[in-house]
Amino acid sequence: MDEEPERAKRWEGGYERTWEILKEDESGSLKATVEEILFQAKRKRVFESHGQVRLGMMRHLYVVIDTSRTMEDQDLKPNRLTSTLKLVEYFVEEYFDQNPISQVGIITTKNKRAEKLTDLAGNPKKHIDALKKAKDSTCGGEPSLYNSLSLAMQTLKHMPGHSSREVLIIFSSLTTCDPANIYELVKTLKALKIRVSVIGLSAEVRVCTVLTRETGGSYHVILDESHFRELLMFHVKPPPATSSSECSLIRMVFLFSLPPGFPQHTIASISDQDAKPSFSQAHLDSTSGGPGLSMGGYFCPQCQAKYTELPVECKVCGLTLVSAPHLARSFHHLFPLEAFQESPLLLHHTERFCEACQGELKDKSVFTCPSCNSVFCVECDLFIHDTLHCCPSCIHSRSAP
Amino acid sequence: MKLNIEGLLVYFPYDYIYPEQYSYMLELKRTLDAKGHGVLEMPSGTGKTISLLSLIVAYQREYPLEVTKLIYCSRTVPEIEKVVEELRKLMEFYSKETGEKNNILALALSSRKNLCVHPEVSSLRFGKEVDGKCHSLTASYIRAQRHSNPSLPSCRFYEEFDAMGKQVPLPAGVYNLDDLKDFGRRKGWCPYYLARYSILHANIIVYSYHYLLDPKIADLVSKELSKKSVVVFDEAHNIDNVCIDSMSVNITRRTLDRSQANVETLQNTILKIKETDAAKLKEEYRRLVEGLKEANVARETDIYMSNPVLPDEILQEAVPGSIRTAEHFVGFMKRFLEYLKARLRIHHVVQESAPQFLKDIFEKVCIDRKPLRFCAERLRSLLRTLEIADIADFSAITLISNFATLVSTYSKGFTIIIEPFEDRTPTIANPVLHFSCMDPSIAIKPVFERFQSVIITSGTLSPLDIYPRILDFRPVTVASFTMTLARTCLCPLVVGRGNDQVAMTSKFETREDFAVIRNYGNLLLEMSAIVPDGIVAFFTSYTYMENIVASWYEQGILENVQRNKLIFIETPDAAETSMALEKYQEACENGRGAILLSVARGKVSEGIDFVHHFGRAVIMFGVPYVYTQSRILKARLEYLRDQFQIRENDFLTFDAMRHAAQCVGRAIRGKTDYGLMIFADKRYARADKRGKLPRWIQEHLTDGSLNLTIDETVQLSKHFLRQMAHSIHDISNCNVQCFCQLNLSQEDQLGLSLLTLEQLQSEDMLQKIAQIAHQA
Repeated sequence: MDEEPERAKRWEGGYERTWEILKEDESGSLKATVEEILFQAKRKRVFESHGQVRLGMMRHLYVVIDTSRTMEDQDLKPNRLTSTLKLVEYFVEEYFDQNPISQVGIITTKNKRAEKLTDLAGNPKKHIDALKKAKDSTCGGEPSLYNSLSLAMQTLKHMPGHSSREVLIIFSSLTTCDPANIYELVKTLKALKIRVSVIGLSAEVRVCTVLTRETGGSYHVILDESHFRELLMFHVKPPPATSSSECSLIRMVFLFSLPPGFPQHTIASISDQDAKPSFSQAHLDSTSGGPGLSMGGYFCPQCQAKYTELPVECKVCGLTLVSAPHLARSFHHLFPLEAFQESPLLLHHTERFCEACQGELKDKSVFTCPSCNSVFCVECDLFIHDTLHCCPSCIHSRSAP
Repeated sequence: MKLNIEGLLVYFPYDYIYPEQYSYMLELKRTLDAKGHGVLEMPSGTGKTISLLSLIVAYQREYPLEVTKLIYCSRTVPEIEKVVEELRKLMEFYSKETGEKNNILALALSSRKNLCVHPEVSSLRFGKEVDGKCHSLTASYIRAQRHSNPSLPSCRFYEEFDAMGKQVPLPAGVYNLDDLKDFGRRKGWCPYYLARYSILHANIIVYSYHYLLDPKIADLVSKELSKKSVVVFDEAHNIDNVCIDSMSVNITRRTLDRSQANVETLQNTILKIKETDAAKLKEEYRRLVEGLKEANVARETDIYMSNPVLPDEILQEAVPGSIRTAEHFVGFMKRFLEYLKARLRIHHVVQESAPQFLKDIFEKVCIDRKPLRFCAERLRSLLRTLEIADIADFSAITLISNFATLVSTYSKGFTIIIEPFEDRTPTIANPVLHFSCMDPSIAIKPVFERFQSVIITSGTLSPLDIYPRILDFRPVTVASFTMTLARTCLCPLVVGRGNDQVAMTSKFETREDFAVIRNYGNLLLEMSAIVPDGIVAFFTSYTYMENIVASWYEQGILENVQRNKLIFIETPDAAETSMALEKYQEACENGRGAILLSVARGKVSEGIDFVHHFGRAVIMFGVPYVYTQSRILKARLEYLRDQFQIRENDFLTFDAMRHAAQCVGRAIRGKTDYGLMIFADKRYARADKRGKLPRWIQEHLTDGSLNLTIDETVQLSKHFLRQMAHSIHDISNCNVQCFCQLNLSQEDQLGLSLLTLEQLQSEDMLQKIAQIAHQA
């Protein structure tokens, strides 16, 4: 109770049958099954990245957030909207961390219409600001799947064929108010190879099932907040590219701030007398925002257009501009760390401690790295696969001699 | 896969089998072995049909002398077609596995309307019209007349069939209605008569209940079927009502007027014939003197199934002298009609037994019991003699004569009620004479007596012991099977109170209560907000639904509900209802969501399945008791108490609960489906109601889901829906019947609710299976 002072009071919450969670259940077997499934799903994220699959590394993703009346429901604390926005914020950060050369846009839908919160862009900051602002907005009316999808489609259909086009819908309502037959739109989406995934906040809705099945996306319904988070994180990993997506050689330019011999990125300093604030190309387009004048920035090596943020496609000459760390960070998707082998603890008499955290192994199963045979606990296994992407023990042994 | 069911090799056309199917087949085999009757309950969507078919076909092949024929009775045409398609699958599997060609002939039979290929006749819209028109083209004397006058119209399909079709039997195979039509068109034979002729030597017949139970039709179609047949009544939870309906007669003033006209026509025709062809009438007279000996001989040699309308005594006696000549008979009928008319001219309700009625008729118009008894047979003979083409016109007088025969034959099991007006419109005089059958065993008795095994099966037959009692037979097996599930996909909840703690019930005393109606409205409103896609709500009657909906409208509840979902209402009008259903399904399909308000015992509650998203929740508002003020029902209850020692209350509850189970069962049509079943009445929580639900529902109705408030219901439902939706990514949209492509990632179900052959043979699985069947 002390840890979460902001949480709603017990009596404000909905009716919950808390005692049933504690039930040792022999007859129903449901609870156990679901937990088993959840655990499997946790592991699945690790497993699925296996094999040499072509991944759509350059992603263009629109996140559609339902902000209809149903988002005021308090089954997620404090309510669905706040909880969702917070998780999406986290998702955006995580997304750019894992997919640095990808872009995200956010659409909200309420009162039977859809609005663009942010355009497709590669900078997390802007999105997060917009999301923070959206927390104060009110929810109302009904969402419209049709309108949000067609809005997303208008932008996505112009994206190059080698990038993956995706829409992720966070759908709280059980109904949608559409101006036309949505199944026609689904056909168009399918033709345009736009993948639509849905995370439902309340229950399975038929139209979403069809939508995701047709477009090749996934459809999940959350059980609770932690499950919600997991489902969102599931979308952080780049999806396998469809076999029909184009293969094209793209010219990409790495921009460095150093060494000074390649002064594409110049940071104006006080000592630099010649420095003048200038407009960034990106700011010329956007009507909103500040004055758009800035001192530093990246300059396209081909046409000298200036950009304040990367990655971006040059507005003038169409060159893809990235920085080296961006690409490096996408690299691990191509050579994922192999899954560790799960085995019951009893078989490991020699190993008493986790190789990574040095904590005592207590869970009923442990995980072994197939290449260096080090033993890890569940938590470390997840951490290694989700964040580090390399086995600490392997690296250690390699660098030692 | 090939199964070994207690020594019988059964080909099962799927790679996997549900444990309950195996268990079902075991019980079925035991029934057939004992040559007895059985009552088997298994939830819908667990593959009842295919289990029945595979076992009985295997039995037929193994013991061709013991069981020669399978007669499969279903209710509706789509159901009949579904059965035949399953059968086709089975047959294909057989020929694939054994490599030899099948010599089994299976066919579906339906009315002329569904089978006719004559270009003019088949375009008629109503079944009666088709029958009448067909008769006017194909009746034997019409065809005889055509010999002298070839300009008369004829049906070339029938002529062709008559000339050629009877010589060569229909080649072996599986014939659905459309196959028969195609075959008929190709050969130029009438499919209807072909089917009717072929059922005599077919191995498997699939047709409607009425061909066996309705004495008028059964006499034409089914009387020559072999004794060594197995009869299956599928979806038989309403079989007693079908039996009763087929034996009951309702006579209104309109019927009498039309009969009067019929009698006039008869009289005129007789006069005409007398002038031209008096010999014919004489011939008929002679025949009647000799009595109906032919029929008697036939019955003694056991070729025909007995007909309850044609009692045994009649066959042994000659037609009594008073109605032997045509004129006398017409005069007799006239008198009888006058008497009935006089009886209908009343201002108060009269209820009497058959003997009382006979005594009265004897005193008033001196009609004896004996000639009355021969009425039906005499009329038939007369119509034949007079060569009247359009039989449909004479339905009124046929009805009256049937009534006369029945009333004089059965002194028990029937009651006569004459009501001067309908209950709903007490001011408008509309006298009706109900001659109502109270004993369903009368109609079904010949079936039980004639055929060696009769299987009664359905998804909802609980409590099982009551069917043998009301149908008066001794079953050798009575069993109920449950669904084995990998996940609990049904969630029955009994909602007893509103959030304000006012009890929710459709009890007569409180049904007008404002608080109850408001709470029902709140329940619907709350559910509409959390249940995706389709909700089906059932009310106890049309009037109750109208009252409640009107009241909801005034309270603004409907408006709020409509913000979540569209609302559709079932009406007594069939066209309107099917329109509403269509739109309802469309709304479920495209994500708008919809609520269908309908009535238990209505069309929706019986015939329509709400698969997957079409019915995620069923709400049963109140307990669907039958209208207890009806005199027919009261008489029936009294009869049940006196004859079968079934208490009124037991029967009423049984009847209400089977309809409630039918209604809520609409939502779950298979193991991959899931749905909420909400019983909104506190009375469901009582043991006597709960205990009468089918076992597969009862199993999931724990103490924790009884007597909930709306709030609790909402929480439980939310939880359930999320849990169920959790595995949706595995669920492909599959047909209910084809459990071969089970979703729910097969491994999850394998071994638990889905078995391969190896698993089936393991020792402990067999033990588990033995527990599934619940011997009642």
